[in-house]
Amino acid sequence: MSASPLSSMETGDHAVLLLHGLSSSPLELRFLARLLADEGFVTHTPELPGYSAGAGHQPMEQWISAAVAEFDKLAARHRHVSVCGLSMGATLAAALAHERPAARALLLLSITLSYDGWAIPWYRFLLDYVYYTPMRSRYRYREHEPYGLRNEALRSKIARAMQKNDISEVGPASISMPALHEAGRLAGWVRKKLKGVRTDCLILHAIDDETSSPHNARFVGTHIGASFLRTIWLDDSYHMITSDNEREVVARECALFLRESVAATVSSTTPTPVISRALARRLRQLATVARKE
Amino acid sequence: MEVRNSRRWAPRGRNRWIVAAAALVSAAIVRTLLHPLLGPVMPGASFLIAAVLVEYYCGLAPAIGVMLLGLCLADYLFVPPYGHIDVIDASDIRLLISYPLITILVITLVERLRRAQYRAELLGAVAQSRYEMLLRHDNERLLARRATDEMHRMLHHIAQYQRTLILIKALDPANSLPPGSFVAAGATAMPDGSTGDASLHAGIAYCTKHAQVHQEDLARVSGHLTPGHHRMRFLSGGRDDWRPVECVCERFITSSGEFLILRAED
Repeated sequence: MSASPLSSMETGDHAVLLLHGLSSSPLELRFLARLLADEGFVTHTPELPGYSAGAGHQPMEQWISAAVAEFDKLAARHRHVSVCGLSMGATLAAALAHERPAARALLLLSITLSYDGWAIPWYRFLLDYVYYTPMRSRYRYREHEPYGLRNEALRSKIARAMQKNDISEVGPASISMPALHEAGRLAGWVRKKLKGVRTDCLILHAIDDETSSPHNARFVGTHIGASFLRTIWLDDSYHMITSDNEREVVARECALFLRESVAATVSSTTPTPVISRALARRLRQLATVARKE
Repeated sequence: MEVRNSRRWAPRGRNRWIVAAAALVSAAIVRTLLHPLLGPVMPGASFLIAAVLVEYYCGLAPAIGVMLLGLCLADYLFVPPYGHIDVIDASDIRLLISYPLITILVITLVERLRRAQYRAELLGAVAQSRYEMLLRHDNERLLARRATDEMHRMLHHIAQYQRTLILIKALDPANSLPPGSFVAAGATAMPDGSTGDASLHAGIAYCTKHAQVHQEDLARVSGHLTPGHHRMRFLSGGRDDWRPVECVCERFITSSGEFLILRAED
């Protein structure tokens, strides 16, 4: 485990553990980490052994253990610790929230429980079986257009970076079969444990996510045990919502949710006041709908 | 606006294939039960209905599966000669042309409608998210405006009652501006009359009138101050000549923190 240069380890009340996507690097969370740090949160974006790019291969249980260790380190220093993940990192964050219910808030960005977006080839399910063949160590699933980006200027920049290097700021150029296999196991594990996750939860997902379809976010929204749950749908981004057209919206809503989650704690004496009549009306409507359901 | 995920409207998993298989078997049973009544008439009707229902609930791939298997079953079981697939006559040709044609037409229409419906649902969800974001930001804007108005009121209050101010206290010193910054530097002082940092660190700025207040009363309100009226002893004329004076404490929730301002009543 190593702390990346993106970590801001100053003293602060509220720390956020940011988990990047599968076989990727903290670079893809750079913008979000910077904005959260500007908002007064302490951010920590670790590289996890067996999960991050160039960190070898390990079973998914080790990924969870490594994430839990990072969480415990933050919890020893800060009053509130929240967990945020992008893509498979969101799945890992949900697993971490299950293991550590003391987490203040859970931010799930483009959560991936199955690779079923529009850009995933129809033969994707065959790759699950390739793992059990000798091809497992040779075959790598290569990323291709649109690289999770709706922003075309950024996409062409990433395409050039992918041709030159094995990794770019929005993820790796290819993912190995063992990593994909472990990711599938992790997703299956999280699907079963979601009911036990009671941490305040924010789901952010793009409707045109080319990697994980909206079914993933809907599944989490329906099955998670959190009582404070908010789902925000985006329409001008693809999978990499922390780098795409709506990254400012994503970062702002994450910061707002973190503040509201702290303010909503029972021990807090200063909950966020609602003085907008329209918002109060909307909250009453949502509460009525929730009661009927 | 194009939503490419709209083609992914159907539920995932193996359940939809189980439902499709059940629909196919049900269609075959129903047609078999009606066979004495219908004979060779409409051999593929029940499979057409099954395929359309499967398309509506389970998606395109299971519906096409039901259609193709239904075609084989219909031809084998309900087109004369029954139980033979090797004899191809006009009845087989009619089935082979009419059944797939009608089924594909209806399935295509249902698929298009389901995609359009799913796309509308997704865009509706985005609109709802944006509306709620707008409301939350509107709430934040109103809170900021209220805090700004309150700050103006507090500054006006300080300017108006500068001569009678006793102290300004920050309720949350860690997250507030130092209260001493609201009064002229010369007007802030320690309870003993000297200017110092200790009171500022504690979140209290003493003002001009505090020098006349009895030390016990000053210590009491410095430690625990609540909005409302307070009676305090003020020095009057000679030494140890104390008279009670009504004081007022007001609360201000500003953008720079929450403050209590204590002043002697006119």
